[in-house]
Amino acid sequence: MSTTEVVTSRKLKGKDLITIGIFSAIYFVINFIFMLAAALHPIMWILMPGFIALFTGVPYMILASKVQKAGAVLIMGLISGLIYYATGMFTVVILITFASACVLAELIRLATKYKSFTGNSISFAIFSVGMIGSPLPMWLFKESFFEQISVQTGQGGIISGNYLSILSGLATDGMLFVLILAPVVLGVIGALIAKALFKKHFVKAGIV
Amino acid sequence: MVRKSKYEGATCLDPRAALLLLLLVTVVVFAQQSLYLEFALVTVLVGLFLCCGLFKNGLIFMLGFGFLLVLQYYIFPIAPQIFADFFAILTSYARKVFPCIMVGMLIVKTIPMRYLILAMRKWHFPQKLIIPLSVTLCYFPVIREEIGHIRDAMKLRKVSGAAKAEAILVPLIFSAANTAEELGAAAVTRGIENPAPKTSVIELRFRLRDYICIAVGLIFVLAVFWLKRGAI
Repeated sequence: MSTTEVVTSRKLKGKDLITIGIFSAIYFVINFIFMLAAALHPIMWILMPGFIALFTGVPYMILASKVQKAGAVLIMGLISGLIYYATGMFTVVILITFASACVLAELIRLATKYKSFTGNSISFAIFSVGMIGSPLPMWLFKESFFEQISVQTGQGGIISGNYLSILSGLATDGMLFVLILAPVVLGVIGALIAKALFKKHFVKAGIV
Repeated sequence: MVRKSKYEGATCLDPRAALLLLLLVTVVVFAQQSLYLEFALVTVLVGLFLCCGLFKNGLIFMLGFGFLLVLQYYIFPIAPQIFADFFAILTSYARKVFPCIMVGMLIVKTIPMRYLILAMRKWHFPQKLIIPLSVTLCYFPVIREEIGHIRDAMKLRKVSGAAKAEAILVPLIFSAANTAEELGAAAVTRGIENPAPKTSVIELRFRLRDYICIAVGLIFVLAVFWLKRGAI
C-alpha cells in the first residue's frame, strides 16, 4: 500500500506520526519486560541492553523502513523516555546516554538516506547502546553508588548483602566491555533477524 | 473511557494539575530516603484515590504497599537466601516507584485521553510529539489484548522456544501495521494535518482541589530537601 504513494517531502505527516506511536508502544513493551527481568539477577541487569537489542530489532527496523523520514527514531526515544520518566525509572545517566544514542542513530539514518539496510542496522546498534545508562553508574560513580545502595540496605535489609556482593564483583573493566559490546553485537543480530523475518513474512504481505 | 459519563463536565483533577503532581511525586521518590515520608506520601495518595471515588483501586494499592513492606521487613530476613536474592531487588524497586505508579494509575483511571491531549496542547508541546505519544498510550491495552488472542490461538499447537517468540511478534507487528494504516487514514480524514490551531469543546480550569494537590506535593518536596539537609 505504502509503495503506491510517492514520497515527496521529508516532513512527518499524520500517518507517520501514528505509525511512530504504535511501534513505539511495541518497542516500549519489549523494553519494559527486560527492564523488569533485570531486577532478578545482576548479570541480567548488565546484559539487559543486549537482550533489548536482540528483541526490539523487528519493531525498530519496520519503523525505520515504514517512516523513512527524519525524526522517527528521535520521537520513539522521546516517548520511551517520557513514559519511563513518568513512572520514575529514569536516572540522569541513562537520560544522557539514551538521548545521545537517539541523536546519533538519527544522524546515521540521515547520512545513509534512510533506505539502506546496513545504515539502518548501524543506527539500530547505536540506538541500542543508549540503554547502557541503566547499569553504567556502577562504573561511573563506583564508590558512591555502592555506598548509596548499602545505605538502603541498612534500612531494613532492602537489598540483600549477597546481591550487593555479586554486583560489586561484577563491576570490573571486563564487564564494562561486555556491557557496551553486547548491545552492538546483539543489535546487529537483531537487525539480521528482522531482515530474515522481513523476507519470510512482511515483504510478502506488503507491509514493508 | 468507561468513566466518561461520570466525569462528563470536568475530571476529578485538572489534567495539568495531575501531570504536575506526577512530576512532584517523581522528584520526591528520587530524593527521599525516609520510610516515614514514604509512608505519608502513600497515605496521602490513597486519600486522593478515595476522594476521586476510586475506592477499589485505593484499597488495592494500600494492601499492595503493606504487602511489600511485610515482604521486606518480615519475610525476607527469614526466607531462604536464594528466594530473597531473587526478589529483593524487584520488591525494593517496586516500593521505590510505588507512588509514581499510583499517580500514573490515577491519571489513567480518571482522566480521558482527550483531556491529557488538551493539557499538553495548553503547555505548547509540539504537535509532532502529542500525536505519537497519545497513540502510544492508547495502544498499550491493545497490545495486551492482541497478545491474549495470539496466546489463545497458540494453545492448540505446540510452539516453543524461538518459534514462540516469532509466533507472538509477527502477528503483533502485522496487526500494528494494519492499525497504523487504518488509524492514519481515519485521522487524516478527520483533519489531523490541518495546520490551524485546534479548538476544543472542553474547557480546562484549575479549581481549589487542584491547587491543594499541588500545594501538598510541594510540601512533600520541601520536606524531602529539609530532611536531607538535616541528615548532612
